[in-house]
Amino acid sequence: MPVTYRLAKDFNIAANIIRAQVAPNQVGKLVLELAGDIDQMEAALEWLRQQNIEVSLASREIVIDEQACVHCGLCTGVCPTQALTLHPETFQLQFTRSRCIVCEQCVAACPMEAIHTNF
Amino acid sequence: MERTIAEINEKIRAGKATVWTLAELKARLESLSIAEAARQVDVVTTGTFEPMESSGAIINLGPTDPPIKLRQCWLDGIPAYSGFGAVDLYLGAAQSLDPNSEAGEADSLRERGGGHVIADLIAGKAIPLRAVGYVTDCYPRASLETVISKQTINQFYLYNPRNLYQNFIVGVNGGDRPLYTYLGPLQPQLGNAVYACGGALSPLLNDPYLRLVGIGTRIFLGGGIGYVAWEGTQHFPLQKRLANDTPIGPAATLALIGDAKQMDPFWVRGCYFKHYGASLMLGVGVPLPVLDQEVIARCAIRDEEVVAPVIDFSIPRRVRPTFGMVNYAQLKSGKIKIEGKTVQTAPLTSLYFGQRIAEVLKDWIHSGRFTLTEPIAPLPRDRAFLPQQPWMPAASDD
Repeated sequence: MPVTYRLAKDFNIAANIIRAQVAPNQVGKLVLELAGDIDQMEAALEWLRQQNIEVSLASREIVIDEQACVHCGLCTGVCPTQALTLHPETFQLQFTRSRCIVCEQCVAACPMEAIHTNF
Repeated sequence: MERTIAEINEKIRAGKATVWTLAELKARLESLSIAEAARQVDVVTTGTFEPMESSGAIINLGPTDPPIKLRQCWLDGIPAYSGFGAVDLYLGAAQSLDPNSEAGEADSLRERGGGHVIADLIAGKAIPLRAVGYVTDCYPRASLETVISKQTINQFYLYNPRNLYQNFIVGVNGGDRPLYTYLGPLQPQLGNAVYACGGALSPLLNDPYLRLVGIGTRIFLGGGIGYVAWEGTQHFPLQKRLANDTPIGPAATLALIGDAKQMDPFWVRGCYFKHYGASLMLGVGVPLPVLDQEVIARCAIRDEEVVAPVIDFSIPRRVRPTFGMVNYAQLKSGKIKIEGKTVQTAPLTSLYFGQRIAEVLKDWIHSGRFTLTEPIAPLPRDRAFLPQQPWMPAASDD
C-alpha cells in the first residue's frame, strides 16, 4: 500500500522517510517524520491502525555511546540549551535529556562519532 | 627538603614512596604549606588526554620472502610512508584516505585516517595491507597483499614528533560562516570558543622551564611506557611569559616515543574532525619528582594564574588577530566575555581522562612498576622559531 501517498493525498500530511525496511510481500518497518494539521494527524493515525499497520510513536532523541565518549567536552560548546555540560568538578560529560531540543549540533561536533540520533 | 631521583627510586622499590596526583596536591595546598607538602610527597603525577595529530607509528613488517622494498603502501586504504628501510613504514595519525585508491571516491568519504588504523592495531584488530615494491636485484618482489596485526609485525612503536603542548590557544570565529577547524566546529559571530589545554592541570605548565622533564624522561604513553625522545616540532621556549614564568600561549612541545605493542586501546583512539580530518586522541602522563620546595611552588599554580590568547580563525593567516588573553578559570567556567559578548566555551582536552591517567601513573609508581629516570640531556630553553617564508622570484616587467 502506498502509505505516504495516502497520507499526503487524504490527510494533507507531509511524510519524511527517515528509515525504511520493506521487502516485497513481507512485513516491514517504516520510520516517518509526519508534519501536518493536528486533527488530520489524529485521523491519519487512526486510518493507519485500521489498515492493520502497527503504529508506535517516537520522538527523535540524542544517544551517547559511553564506550566511545572520551569526555573531551567539545560538544558542550555547541549545545544551545546546555543539555550537554561538563560536571564542574570531575569534568565528566553530563546529558540532561529534558533540555535537549535535538538540534544535532553535537553530532557533527563529536570527533569520536560517539553521538547519534536514535533513528 | 631536598631529594634526588635515585633516593625517590629507592623509596618506590621499597614500596614507601608517597605519590599524589597533581589535582590532589593542588587541593591539599589549600591547607598545607609548600614546605610541608614538599616534605610529605615524593612524586606528583600529571596526565593529559587530547588530540595529538603530530603523532604516528613506525612499523617494521619484518622481511618477506622473496624480499620486497616497499615503494608505496596502504594500510586499510591509508597511505603509509615507505621511503626508508625496505619494510619500514611510518603511518601518520593525520593521514587521510587515499582519494586515488581503488575504492575511489566512496572511500574518501569515510571519516577515517591514520589515527584510526593505529588505534585498531593497538586494539589487536587485523588490518589489510597492500604494497607495491621497487624491484631490484636485492628485492625482487613487486607487490604484497596481506593482513597484519600487532602480533604479526616485527616492530610497532609510536614516534610522535609533537605532543604535549605546554599551553595552547583559544579558537573563536569572528566571521559570518561556520568554520571547521582542528578545534572542531567554530560557529560564526563568536558562537563558541574552544580551548585545548588543561590549564593548571597541563603537565608542563607545572614545570614551566622544563627543569624536571628532559630527553630520556620515562612517561605514561597510551597506557604503556614511553620516553621523551627530543624537543617537539615547533618547540618554542621563548614564548612570552607571565611573572609566574608560565607561557602565555603555545610554548614547549615534546617528541615522544613508546612501544605501541604494549599500549592500551582505551588510551589511544582515532578521531575525526568534520571537514578538517583525522587525528589521534592520546593519553600522556608525566611524573614530576619532588626534588625540592621549588617543584611544589611551581605545581601550586592555579587556573586563575594561567592564560591563553583568544584567536580569530576567520582570518586564515599565520598571524591571526587576537581578542586578548583569558585565564583558564574563566575558560573552565563555561563562559568568557569577548568584546562585551558572552561566549560559550568548551574544552578539547579530556580533563576527566587526564585526571584518570594521573591516577593510573600514581598506582604504577605505588606498585613499583614504574620508576623515575634522570633526563639524559635538557630540552632547549632558547630556541628561535623560524616561520617559513616562501621564496618569491623577482617580479618581471611584462
